[in-house]
Amino acid sequence: MPLDTSTYSLALLRVDGRRWNELRRCHAQVRTQAAADGSSFWEMGNTKVMCVLTGPSEPGPKRAGTVTAGGGTTGAGNETAAEVVVNIVVAGFSSVDRRRRGRTDKRTLELSATVARTLAAVLHTHLYPRSAITFSLHVLSHDGSLLAALLNAATLAAVDAGIPMTDYVVACSAGSTSSDAAADTTDGADPLLDLNLQEEQELPSLTVATLGATDRVAALVCESRVPVQRLEGMLAVAADGCKQVRAIVDRVVREAGLKMAKEANSGADAGNVSSMEIDV
Amino acid sequence: MPHDLEPSLNEKAFVGQALQEGLRLDGRGFEDYRPISLSLGEEYGVADVRLGNTRIFAKATAEVTVPYSDRPFDGIFNIVTELSPMASPAFEAGRPSETEVLLSRVLEKTLRRSGALDTESLCLSAGQKCWSVRVDVHVLSHDGNLVDASCLAVVAALRHFRKPETSIESGVLTVYTPAEREPVPLSWLHSPFCVTFSYFGEEAEMALLDGTLLEEQTRVGSCTISLNRHGEICQIAKLGGTPVEAVSLLKSTQVALQKAREFSTIVDKALAGDAKRRDKGGLIAELSAENER
Repeated sequence: MPLDTSTYSLALLRVDGRRWNELRRCHAQVRTQAAADGSSFWEMGNTKVMCVLTGPSEPGPKRAGTVTAGGGTTGAGNETAAEVVVNIVVAGFSSVDRRRRGRTDKRTLELSATVARTLAAVLHTHLYPRSAITFSLHVLSHDGSLLAALLNAATLAAVDAGIPMTDYVVACSAGSTSSDAAADTTDGADPLLDLNLQEEQELPSLTVATLGATDRVAALVCESRVPVQRLEGMLAVAADGCKQVRAIVDRVVREAGLKMAKEANSGADAGNVSSMEIDV
Repeated sequence: MPHDLEPSLNEKAFVGQALQEGLRLDGRGFEDYRPISLSLGEEYGVADVRLGNTRIFAKATAEVTVPYSDRPFDGIFNIVTELSPMASPAFEAGRPSETEVLLSRVLEKTLRRSGALDTESLCLSAGQKCWSVRVDVHVLSHDGNLVDASCLAVVAALRHFRKPETSIESGVLTVYTPAEREPVPLSWLHSPFCVTFSYFGEEAEMALLDGTLLEEQTRVGSCTISLNRHGEICQIAKLGGTPVEAVSLLKSTQVALQKAREFSTIVDKALAGDAKRRDKGGLIAELSAENER
């Protein structure tokens, strides 16, 4: 069913009722798996991603479908920094059609390489030599902006595991209302923020991952045709969306930290020990 | 498991220091390409690209097959890349490494997803018969920047390729040999080219074009931008690495657009030279059926 964009110019509302600069409803959780060192669940609209982090641990044998970044020499573990291993599993039920994707699917491997390289550049892996940090990302539901959801979930899992990093890596997608090049002259091309699957398939789109609150681009993936002069607008809107996503991620982390500190305080108060000062 | 020889600490420090002083080891500027030579083969659909010491050989073939059931009106278009130990000892025959997966994906996004080849024109009989065009990319020598050279080779091979003339009568498909009828070119919509930037420095503040193998091993990040001559971005792939300022990425697109136009000129000149070479004695003008009154 093709995307109906005829009513956008009338009321400037998208198919799901959002305006051009509004994110979808976002729900995030950390510490969802007690058996893992770090875990998170990220839900942006109907895109649901679960991340399980193991490590830093001794590197195990290589498996098909995993992508390693960071440590230069593969083998018995890097001497200077930890390796970041990413394994992405796209569930067969994640889209409308049931589809089985093998571990060696090139599209999935490319997503794994993107997540691994982005995180390897931001995590302080030099503090864990001869180690491996393993991310397992499971896509439960896919409704657009998949790479952004994967990166946000992996960032939350790394924070939950206590791995030091420079800043949050937050990702967001942006698009344009028209794929027609003539729309530039007639002022008919508006940027859009946080595309869903229908918009992603029909409109020009890109996904940007930035380093925290700065405008430094950690990853940039654009897979559709778009005129050059429109790239700046899409990039600006995506960077602004990343700031909004960072606020969401930071709130989730602070809430989890506050809850943890309260539990520690209630245990400490029973023993009449001085309580901690929470910096919120 | 085979892997590349890592550059030594002295080599890394030397390359880094040279780049800080604005110099490259082979004397090029930061935005210069190595000498590009593109030669087209005797038979149609063969392209040989040399980019310094990097050499890519691409060959396009076509055969009649059954279309996919979900797309009965489209032909099939595949790009097959295989890195063999001939190119570099780091590559292992048969087992796809991460380099091969990323190279294959960039070429697919640049050419297939951007619709460079009109696959609807490859349909012969809807749902029953269609052309399947396949481009095999062979990396003969690897000295860095496989993506740009491979994309140039694939575009040249596809534009040079001619598929056999066909006709359908009462459901019977007749494929004519090149001796019976002249083969026809593919329906080509636009020519995208890849331009790869390598980032160096602690903050990824230096952007280089066309990195050699040593520069690729020491870089902190990379970004591949694919554009056509008309100023359309077909894909951008900055898959991680050190974060880069957004403004420098936008500047990179302007540099990439200029380089894509130069690539387009190179391919156009090579195709014109090949057409002139096949026109022995200028007889094509004599044989022309479309003449002025």
